[in-house]
Amino acid sequence: MMHSLILGSPLTPLEHAARHALNWLHFNLGLPWAWSIVALTVIVRMLLVPLTVRQIHSMQSLQAHAPQMKEIQKKYKGDKQKQNEELMKFYRENQINPAASCLPMLAQLPVFIALYYSLRHFSSEPPAKHPGSLSFLHFIPSIADHTTTHWGGYVLLVVYVASQMASTLYMSATVDKTQRILFMVMPLVFVFVIARFPAGLVLYWVTTNLWTVGQGLITRRLMPKPAAPTAEKRSSRTPPRDPGSGDDGGGNGAVPESPQPKPAAPRSQQPPRKVRRKKKAGRR
Amino acid sequence: MHRIGVALVWLWRATFGALFPTTCKYHPSCSQYAIDAVRQKGLVRGSVLAGWRLLRCNPWSHGGFDPVR
Repeated sequence: MMHSLILGSPLTPLEHAARHALNWLHFNLGLPWAWSIVALTVIVRMLLVPLTVRQIHSMQSLQAHAPQMKEIQKKYKGDKQKQNEELMKFYRENQINPAASCLPMLAQLPVFIALYYSLRHFSSEPPAKHPGSLSFLHFIPSIADHTTTHWGGYVLLVVYVASQMASTLYMSATVDKTQRILFMVMPLVFVFVIARFPAGLVLYWVTTNLWTVGQGLITRRLMPKPAAPTAEKRSSRTPPRDPGSGDDGGGNGAVPESPQPKPAAPRSQQPPRKVRRKKKAGRR
Repeated sequence: MHRIGVALVWLWRATFGALFPTTCKYHPSCSQYAIDAVRQKGLVRGSVLAGWRLLRCNPWSHGGFDPVR
């Protein structure tokens, strides 16, 4: 096959590594093949944990900055491009960043491809002496077959969609509604692609998603509750800057120690938007 | 020539990129950066720039606004 020629040759060592790891888990630890995949996934994710710790810290400090970020988002509501730019500047100035990063994500790709190839070999030359040893929890007869060859595969696909949605909920730091919805819909589209994959690969994907969800839950536990909103919010809405300091485009002007604290009026919801927005729009 | 690079990025976006929520901590995102870089600097230099950006997009960096210069 064409794509196996292109992708296969540089990734052969990886495939071997995956195969070795699976073999070791199966023969030395005595795990069934399906559980070896789960174990391998967990190991990979455990190796990635140190990376996510950074992200957790970042998200913690993000909570403290939420009001200012909302401010930026409102300010550049019409212009997504500009809004993103300003948010990124704001993150940089405050040394926070809610997003994960591309590198760890990319690091998962080789694992995925390696698993794909080893599972394909599984189906052509099953390593098992007796046919049942490729099954998973008695409802998937063979993890090397296409997911849709058995009703159990459909169950797995449903679990996949659910876990993908859940992990999206925990992973995506974006506040943007439409984007969030898009990510929620994505698995529904992808399920058609993934149905063509060996069931073991879907098992990998489900496991890694569930890990993400678990990590998200633990993270939320560890995170301090966001500061009481009213006081924070109001101070962030005071017209922040002295007219000269405009170049950084609006993020850090809203730090709580802004020069003109607003007189007390506890209306937290409707500040006099219009006037301020016009002023700022004029400046950029 | 640079079309190859751009096509590859789109291929990535359509396949694995779509499996993950946008995770990039930079703006423009890594994939957009790759497209811009290849368009502006050609396939070879653009790819090197994009690779370097990917390496910078790690958990220890702070991200931020970082267009191709």
